[in-house]
Amino acid sequence: MISISFGLHGKREGETIAPIKCREDDHMAEDKKPRALATQAAAKIAKFVKGNLSATLKAKEEGKKVAYAYIADGQDEIMRAMDIVPAWGESFAGVCAAKRDAEKYLQKAEADNFSRSLCTYATCTIGFDMMREELKGEPVPGAPWGGMARPDMILGSGQLLCDPRFKWPQATQHYLQDVPVFVGSMYYPPFDPNVDHKEQEKFYVKYATEELRELVKFCEKHTGKKMDRDRLAALVDLSDKTWDLFIDTYELRKAVPTPMDTGDAMNTMVPFTFNLGTQEAYDFYKDLYDELKQKIAEKKGVADDEKYRVLWAAGLPSWFALGDFQYFNEKGVVFPVEVTYRGGEKIERLGLPKTNDPLEHIAWRWVRYWTHWYDKARKRPGSIPKVERIIEYIEDYECDGAVFHSAFSCRSWHAGIIHQAETLKRVYKDIPVLIMEGDIVDISSYNEADTHNRIDAFIETLEAAKKRHN
Amino acid sequence: MNYFAGVDIGSTMTKVVIIGDSIVASLIGPTGPEHRKLANKVMEDALNQAHLKFEDLSYIVATGYGRINVPFADRQITEITCHAKGLHSLLPTAKTIVDIGGQDSKGIKIKDGRVHNFVMNDKCAAGTGRFLEVIAESLNVPLVRLGELSLTAVKAAEISSTCTVFAEHEITNQLANGESLANLVAGVHLSVATRVCSLVKKMTIEQDIAITGGGAKNIGLIRALEAKFGCPVLVPPEPLITGALGAALMGKEIFEKFAEEGQTPTRSGRGLEEARLFL
Repeated sequence: MISISFGLHGKREGETIAPIKCREDDHMAEDKKPRALATQAAAKIAKFVKGNLSATLKAKEEGKKVAYAYIADGQDEIMRAMDIVPAWGESFAGVCAAKRDAEKYLQKAEADNFSRSLCTYATCTIGFDMMREELKGEPVPGAPWGGMARPDMILGSGQLLCDPRFKWPQATQHYLQDVPVFVGSMYYPPFDPNVDHKEQEKFYVKYATEELRELVKFCEKHTGKKMDRDRLAALVDLSDKTWDLFIDTYELRKAVPTPMDTGDAMNTMVPFTFNLGTQEAYDFYKDLYDELKQKIAEKKGVADDEKYRVLWAAGLPSWFALGDFQYFNEKGVVFPVEVTYRGGEKIERLGLPKTNDPLEHIAWRWVRYWTHWYDKARKRPGSIPKVERIIEYIEDYECDGAVFHSAFSCRSWHAGIIHQAETLKRVYKDIPVLIMEGDIVDISSYNEADTHNRIDAFIETLEAAKKRHN
Repeated sequence: MNYFAGVDIGSTMTKVVIIGDSIVASLIGPTGPEHRKLANKVMEDALNQAHLKFEDLSYIVATGYGRINVPFADRQITEITCHAKGLHSLLPTAKTIVDIGGQDSKGIKIKDGRVHNFVMNDKCAAGTGRFLEVIAESLNVPLVRLGELSLTAVKAAEISSTCTVFAEHEITNQLANGESLANLVAGVHLSVATRVCSLVKKMTIEQDIAITGGGAKNIGLIRALEAKFGCPVLVPPEPLITGALGAALMGKEIFEKFAEEGQTPTRSGRGLEEARLFL
């Protein structure tokens, strides 16, 4: 214990120092580096995203239909098999955010009474739709990478994970009144530690399969084409192979030092998330797999000196602040694994029942993806599947801590983050946890200095935990 | 004798502590908007008070929001770690720290003398010293009088707005409706305590709870926090300097660790110069 003796030498409170004025033309000269991409594959992603956006703009000349589409809802192969070009609002809004050019669209939507607290993927895209409608469907000048084409249909899917999925397509139709809307719903059994979900699963799969059949009928009606079942089956098979390769590739990141970080994964998720059911997506992961193997052989890690391995435990990133991953990396902290955008699993681990119906296969794959952590969670008293998944990754990837990002406008995915963090500490172990706050698109929620201050404090907590442990 | 300095440049106040075997100088002054250039001036004053030369310092640690603007610091460490270190040296039984600063508030959990967990509120002025400054100005009551005044309240007025700007408006209306000044100030303290309490409860709270930062100078706020937490809140002898003290102690720890291994730590090599962050 140290003693305080102000009387001898110290200046007392109230004896102040006159502040010194700074010049008005002064500005900070920070040595800012652009975000480094650890893999060559990630550097190719801009082309992918640009290609997806321009495909919607070219679709009309090619006689193809464009559909507004939403990620992770099991509709990918159906659209691809029917030559429908998906226009991904979530991708477009992410690009706007990454270019720090979303504000004009958010303001446009806000001016028509869409609250800032609503999903900013939705409000950014709706603001863009409003502008395009004012131009009679013509491209919006200055839209990032040309923006998205006016859709011929909207293929929504209300999921348990996202409530705007029900309302966003309907709100969009308010401005695109001639555009037909389909909103299906894919559910999975809720987790109950006292109930074996396997009995329930088949009912959920039956429901999901019927929803997908309705979607096919809707697409047939609005494209004027019949679904080619063989082509659909081939694309589902290709997707399965892509799921397997995606996981094989990402599991290479278990290596120490890790050859790829979550900062990259927020890019390399694009083919899996937006191009599933295409050969390009499969080929991308083949290239990434080879590159990571090479980096491991050469012991090339993300950080020059890998001090701490941390899991990105939940939450979509702030697309306008991906440079924060580099901030972590420069301080020796790497993310070898993330929950976000890891929307696949090795097919064999899901134990899917055999079926000749590709739609039923999609439904099983979709339901089992969510339920395959249930058994583990049931075995650990007090645990829940989301936490079980976090524990699995912490152990498999040898993580020292976990970072959660709470994006205020994305309620359904981000509500419960604090509960997850507390449950993790209670049922597993008291590892260092950082909960960051921000948004996916709305930069007004972001303060770089404060964010970096939190990161610095978290790194010191990791250091203290390691010292305590040792 | 080896001397170590801690410089804590907070958003509102700048604090410097120099330690040898005990504290030989401590200084508190306003940060002002020019803190980027202020660090060398503050350090100079502190050295004069301690009758020391810059060369007498064996290691210097900077902390606080302005820590990167201290070119002569040998190391930068966040205020989270430094507050924990400083407070632990003063009140070793404290396991939870509530720090109410000028523009943010924090909760810090200590385990074995080190930071175990932390939470920060930085998105909103409510729950920070700035909230109290705005209200004091609005009520035309000196900031330092808020605490004592609130203790004379009959009943804390209900302040429902958590937003600083709206709360100021609400208070003006209540004042116009005849609510007493003391009751209003007590209500303001309860409002800040409620915000801080819900922030800190994101961690598992363990006693003893201690308070640091400018908020610790306000007896009314301390009482309100005690009511919210349901237990006493400890106040260190000088709650404003815990961060700077912790920084100086961290410097001592780093220096001694190197010394144990027969080495000397790398120094910044910079003299007592101002930050050159402006072109």
